[in-house]
Amino acid sequence: MNSAVLRNIRLYFMQAWFSYRALYAWNTPFTYFVSKFGFSFFAMLLFVFMGKYVGLGNPVYIVIGNILLIPSMNSMSGVSLAVADEKRFGALSYLIGSPAGRAPVFLGRALFPVLDGFITAAVALPVALLIFQLDLSKTNLWLLLGCVLLISFTTSGVGFILGSISLVNRDGWMITSSIAVGLYILVGVNFPVAVLPPFLRVISYGLPMTRGILAARMALAGASWAAVSQLVFGEIIVGLIYAAAGYALFRLIERRCLISGALDNL
Amino acid sequence: MGSRFAVEARLLHKEFISRSGFWHTKTKTTVAVQEITFRVNKGELFGLLGPNGAGKTTTVKMLSTLLLPTAGTISILGYDAVKQTQEVRKRIGFTFGGARGLYGRLSARDNLRYFAELYGLEPAVTQRRIPELLELVGLSYKTEDRVETFSSGMQQRLHLARALLHDPELIFLDEPTVGIDPVGARELRSTVKELIARGKTLLLTTHYMAEAEELCDRIAIIKQGSIVALDTPAALKRSISGDSLIDVQVKKESLVVLKEHLARLDGRSSMQVLDAPPFKTISIRTPEPGAVMQLLAPFLNPEFILGLEVRNQTLEDVYVAIIQGEQA
Amino acid sequence: MIGRFFRLVVRQMNVQLQIRIFNQYTILLFFLQPLVFSTVGMILARAAGNQTPDLVYTVIGGGIMGMWSGLVFTSTYDIARDRRDGMLELIVGSPTPLARVEAIRTFANVLAGLVSLAAAFLAAVLIFKYSLAGANIPAALLSLLLILFGMWCIGIFLANFLVWSRLGGTMVEFVELPVAVLCGFMYPLRVLPVWMQAISAVLPISWALQALDESLSGGRDLALLGPQWGLAFGISLVFWALSLWLDGKVHDRVRITGELNSI
Repeated sequence: MNSAVLRNIRLYFMQAWFSYRALYAWNTPFTYFVSKFGFSFFAMLLFVFMGKYVGLGNPVYIVIGNILLIPSMNSMSGVSLAVADEKRFGALSYLIGSPAGRAPVFLGRALFPVLDGFITAAVALPVALLIFQLDLSKTNLWLLLGCVLLISFTTSGVGFILGSISLVNRDGWMITSSIAVGLYILVGVNFPVAVLPPFLRVISYGLPMTRGILAARMALAGASWAAVSQLVFGEIIVGLIYAAAGYALFRLIERRCLISGALDNL
Repeated sequence: MGSRFAVEARLLHKEFISRSGFWHTKTKTTVAVQEITFRVNKGELFGLLGPNGAGKTTTVKMLSTLLLPTAGTISILGYDAVKQTQEVRKRIGFTFGGARGLYGRLSARDNLRYFAELYGLEPAVTQRRIPELLELVGLSYKTEDRVETFSSGMQQRLHLARALLHDPELIFLDEPTVGIDPVGARELRSTVKELIARGKTLLLTTHYMAEAEELCDRIAIIKQGSIVALDTPAALKRSISGDSLIDVQVKKESLVVLKEHLARLDGRSSMQVLDAPPFKTISIRTPEPGAVMQLLAPFLNPEFILGLEVRNQTLEDVYVAIIQGEQA
Repeated sequence: MIGRFFRLVVRQMNVQLQIRIFNQYTILLFFLQPLVFSTVGMILARAAGNQTPDLVYTVIGGGIMGMWSGLVFTSTYDIARDRRDGMLELIVGSPTPLARVEAIRTFANVLAGLVSLAAAFLAAVLIFKYSLAGANIPAALLSLLLILFGMWCIGIFLANFLVWSRLGGTMVEFVELPVAVLCGFMYPLRVLPVWMQAISAVLPISWALQALDESLSGGRDLALLGPQWGLAFGISLVFWALSLWLDGKVHDRVRITGELNSI
């Protein structure tokens, strides 16, 4: 295999691992648990009780939706932090000043947050199913796991866009938080996208996760690959578009900073 | 309080405990400062020198009440720094090297006004002090500008103004000239001298030997958390036996021959070989420079010796000798 | 001394407004959060067949969510930023107790959160055409003050905790939404299981919210409102007392570990 390709593959995995180790503050099982489950679990509880108050008898739709959002949130925040934290720790200039290819360096940063989110959801899902005693006999398990993994990857592009914004805006974390909160309406977590007004539905289908979450729900109910394939392919395409957009935005910001001399301010 | 000492540190000791590991936590204890004892007289400019990681900043932070010592006592202007923290804080000012610690979105004036309130200054005093201090540190022209537009040197100077707001008796300056250009550094040293002339006491940490030699009345050299030397700059230089230093620049090919010849030096002299690409320098410390010159006489031609310099020891030489453990 | 304290309050709030609050993204947070939670509440209600969203728990509740989330976010970020930027060290090293600085900052953040609540009330009246004609307005205002007071006391306690350790930011995950869940921002407490209602009882905001619901529904029975107000105020004071107790311990601990300026 071409040595440049091998080098980039090695760079991808090394960057992924070292970035993940370097930038995550958790160092005990307790803080790890809190950072993975804290917000998502209590958000799920909040929406379950809101549903109960208005008379929705069965909270399973809300529970499953919120669990499926975990890998997405993890991926999105993990990737955006991985990019933004390079700036915070003062390492960004050194990264950009190196000859390493940008694609493996920054795309690599998505790998472990994505896997981490997948594992989190994979753990949370059986626990939730046990609590609500759901019947899994019809579930297409491999398809379900595949959809969960897919959602983890497709959201990383959003993380790149948000991370790139954080490079030039000190309040980037607030933008990230605001968008993360908006997902509770837009991607079919607490209710089907079909109940949204038309203009919001357009936004929903323009986001990653929407199709992936729907496909995952269908897989949980026992749908076959044929039934969800269109949704899966749609999710992949949207995810790739966001990943490309995030990468392009990062390169644009990098170039503008190199021209204006603002790289040191990053 | 009646003490004639501004700072009295007695058997001051600080340990940090760090933990690592995910499932099985390993604990590591780092001794940053090891039972150091020293005093700073009122009105003195006291220097604390040492390599990176020696414990200078840890010591300064303990003295300025930002760290609690693991053991030992600290008296600042007669007040116990651990038990009478608030009294100490009212009377001291401090700056740490680097540009952190200011609100970038606020102007220089607003940053100083904020700290003036934290130090309980009356509005009339604040109004008078701020322009005076900005003038003192050479930032009058930036009074209304946002601090985020300041260079790191300017932010350093603003920190000095901040430290002086409440007219403290004792000021800790931790590497105050780091990141400042030579002109700015000279102006800052001039400011420091002016503060001493006004009767302030200063404790300064720095890596710049010339700065320490110029400014400090006494210097403590700290190495691996312990004070290894404490005296006036002149006395510290004398403590290395009043030796002279002879630097001999030689070609690499001649090095072996010269070293063999110089091995005849008596035990009171020592030499080390330093890299000076593309050549080498033999640096000889000796109480008898004349004897060394006699030994070198046969080699005083360009075939062997390219350059030769005889000089007295600087504080840097003393510092290096002490830190590298060559003290007589 | 009172003059000095008042000047410190004004100066600290001014700094807080400039560096944190008068910032388009903070404003966004204060508007977006209530909008999102209220929208979810409304859509869930519609899915269950209720066309008219509940005033207190869906509309106003979103505003309270925004206020609380804004307070938690800004308090967390303030401490983390100060620690990272070296400011925490300078504040602790000044003669003004950190607790006082945090109390004033938290107060500024709580007041800023009123933007969320105001937006929610305006939405209720102008968009959803709710009439407050039958509401017990003075009781509602008192309940609201107690909500603010309760948030302030919990906020100070939280700020102390965040100074304690740079991992305190992680612990916020166990504060923002759990408090919202347990206090019934978006639903009445009867929706919670009994054991969770017992936990809610130790949070002052839950009592003040119940009083607010009662007041906006036109309730005038002081035998009901009085104890709710009393418990809201009393438990808030307990949190405040805990903060004062914690302050000294935090001040010492953070100077032992040297984490005043760790990233």
